[in-house]
Amino acid sequence: MHLSDRVTGTFLVLLGALAFWGGSRLPGVPGQDVGPAVFPMVIGGGLMLCGVLIALGIGRSFEEPEGDPDAVAPGLAGRLGRFAPLAAMVPPALLLFYVLAVERLGFLPTAAIMVLACALALGASWRLAIGLALLAPPGVHLVFYKLLRVPLPEGLMPAPWA
Amino acid sequence: MNAVLEALAMVATTEVAIAVLASAVYGMVIGALPGLTATMATALLVPVTFYLSPIAAVATIITSSAMAIFSGDIPGCLMRIPGTPASAAYTDEAYALTRKGQAELALGASLWFSAIGGIVGTVCLMVMAPALAEIALSFSTYEYFWLSFLGLMCATLVARSSPIKAIAAALLGLLVACVGIENPGGVPRFTFGSVDLLGGIEALPALVGVFAVSEVMRAMASAPPPPIPNRRFGSILAGQWALTRRYQKQMWRGNIVGVLIGALPGAGADMAAWVAYATSKRFSAEREKFGTGHPEGLVESGAANNSALAGGWVPALLFGIPGDTITAIAIGVLYMKGLNPGPTLFTEKASSMYALYLIFIIANVLMIPLGIMMIRASRQVLRAPRAGAMPLILLLCAVGAFAIGNNAFAIVLVAAFGVLGYMMERNGYPVAALVLGIVMGTMVEQNLVTSLIKSDGEILPFFDRPVSSALAALTITALLWPAGVWVLRRLQPREAAR
Repeated sequence: MHLSDRVTGTFLVLLGALAFWGGSRLPGVPGQDVGPAVFPMVIGGGLMLCGVLIALGIGRSFEEPEGDPDAVAPGLAGRLGRFAPLAAMVPPALLLFYVLAVERLGFLPTAAIMVLACALALGASWRLAIGLALLAPPGVHLVFYKLLRVPLPEGLMPAPWA
Repeated sequence: MNAVLEALAMVATTEVAIAVLASAVYGMVIGALPGLTATMATALLVPVTFYLSPIAAVATIITSSAMAIFSGDIPGCLMRIPGTPASAAYTDEAYALTRKGQAELALGASLWFSAIGGIVGTVCLMVMAPALAEIALSFSTYEYFWLSFLGLMCATLVARSSPIKAIAAALLGLLVACVGIENPGGVPRFTFGSVDLLGGIEALPALVGVFAVSEVMRAMASAPPPPIPNRRFGSILAGQWALTRRYQKQMWRGNIVGVLIGALPGAGADMAAWVAYATSKRFSAEREKFGTGHPEGLVESGAANNSALAGGWVPALLFGIPGDTITAIAIGVLYMKGLNPGPTLFTEKASSMYALYLIFIIANVLMIPLGIMMIRASRQVLRAPRAGAMPLILLLCAVGAFAIGNNAFAIVLVAAFGVLGYMMERNGYPVAALVLGIVMGTMVEQNLVTSLIKSDGEILPFFDRPVSSALAALTITALLWPAGVWVLRRLQPREAAR
């Protein structure tokens, strides 16, 4: 998702202004001039300055020219056509799915769904994707639950060694 | 002497031995797979280090990063795709050698000079760190403020992108570090009423998001690497001794450049390799041979990227300022294990420091046999489909982030930082500067605010002490440097037109 410098610069100006304003409203420390407000205000000011400079295109001459444009990716990105950049959002979406589902479904099914979806979106064959979804979650569970004692949720399908 | 014996006893345990071996194999494999970097390998290791003894925990980080930086050379040499960014500088050179039928020479040089670089870097660390610790003992908050500020500036100077974008990225990192109640007033700052944010945003979920999740995201939108050609290898180390004798000067120069760049905050193995390759070319008697399969540059930059790893530990151990992205992660582990960075570490925990040096040496010696095995097995490892490796990485991101504090919110953070890292990289904002900002935020703020309180809000005391004024001058030079370069560039074409 390539945005123009004008867009990212403006975003930084807004973020800096918010940080400055938010920082200035923080309560101070009684009897002390310098408190929690100073640092965010300094950063906010800096961000605003940088944002303006970036939006004006200053410093662009230092940037390396972009590498060759992405070749067509297999899997989901190839099928989305014009919306191919959206495929990049699959991994964070799967992480959020994991957070929402893991308590109810349990670790093994949730992780299996996550691995399966990620592999298929990357263009894996069904054989590879299903094999991975069946083998990886129990393996990870064994290491983290047994060896490292991380309390992974059991949910609908507790592991036999849990 | 007692401390050295104690250190030997600390290292010679089964736990450390298993940790070193396992993390060596892990680092070799991750480094060899294109798209999986040494930093990612380290970040995914951290949850495991929670359950190890302090020395074993640090050992896994040192070993896996050293192995990953070497094995990143393998796909670069065989397929012209660097396995880690640190190999990118000389990938074309190594591949040209392979095309001339000298793959063994290229891979052997990578391995041999990586190991030498790692060992020389360690010796430099052993000599430099205690000497600097003496000086650092007299530092006050003014010096620490300038030092951490200088560190941030260095990170922006060496980024291969617009310096303004790099500064913006570092500021963004500092802003992230503002979140939470750990500030001079102890008030909730930028928490938006969320209980999860009260404790602040920890560096680790941010690192996992920026370095691992964003890599999986990039894989979604790019084509996979081509399959690796079939090849049988002859002797790997044959001819390396001749190369060492022939290019001795280049090797030493590479080692020293590596250590110095590694010690600069924010600049790590990848930058060291670029600089060393460029220096090698600049001072070479056979400059025209570069790029056509000439081992000279390979020797110098291959040594540099591994010696940079040890160099990165110098500021990390002394000041808690990360020398590169790997030590940015290591600092968190050091704190967790009671080895708080600082000049007193070298007096109070001397045996732990000796143990750390020992592990560096062991890892770099172990690199040679393991590296040869890895080169021989590279066809099998590199055949692993990307669509198989990436889902596993994603699953490890989720479980690893959860394991840090048994808190599902960390996984949300990982996802958010994945998106942020991906967007930043696509738009030319260096993520290493962001990470440095996050890791150093609390330190910069504490030293700034303490100094301001001491000086009653005055700016002049910041320049009073001799060391702090020198550091201040360096920082301001670093800040104004890009502007100077820009002005020079503007003036030059005009003169040419005249």
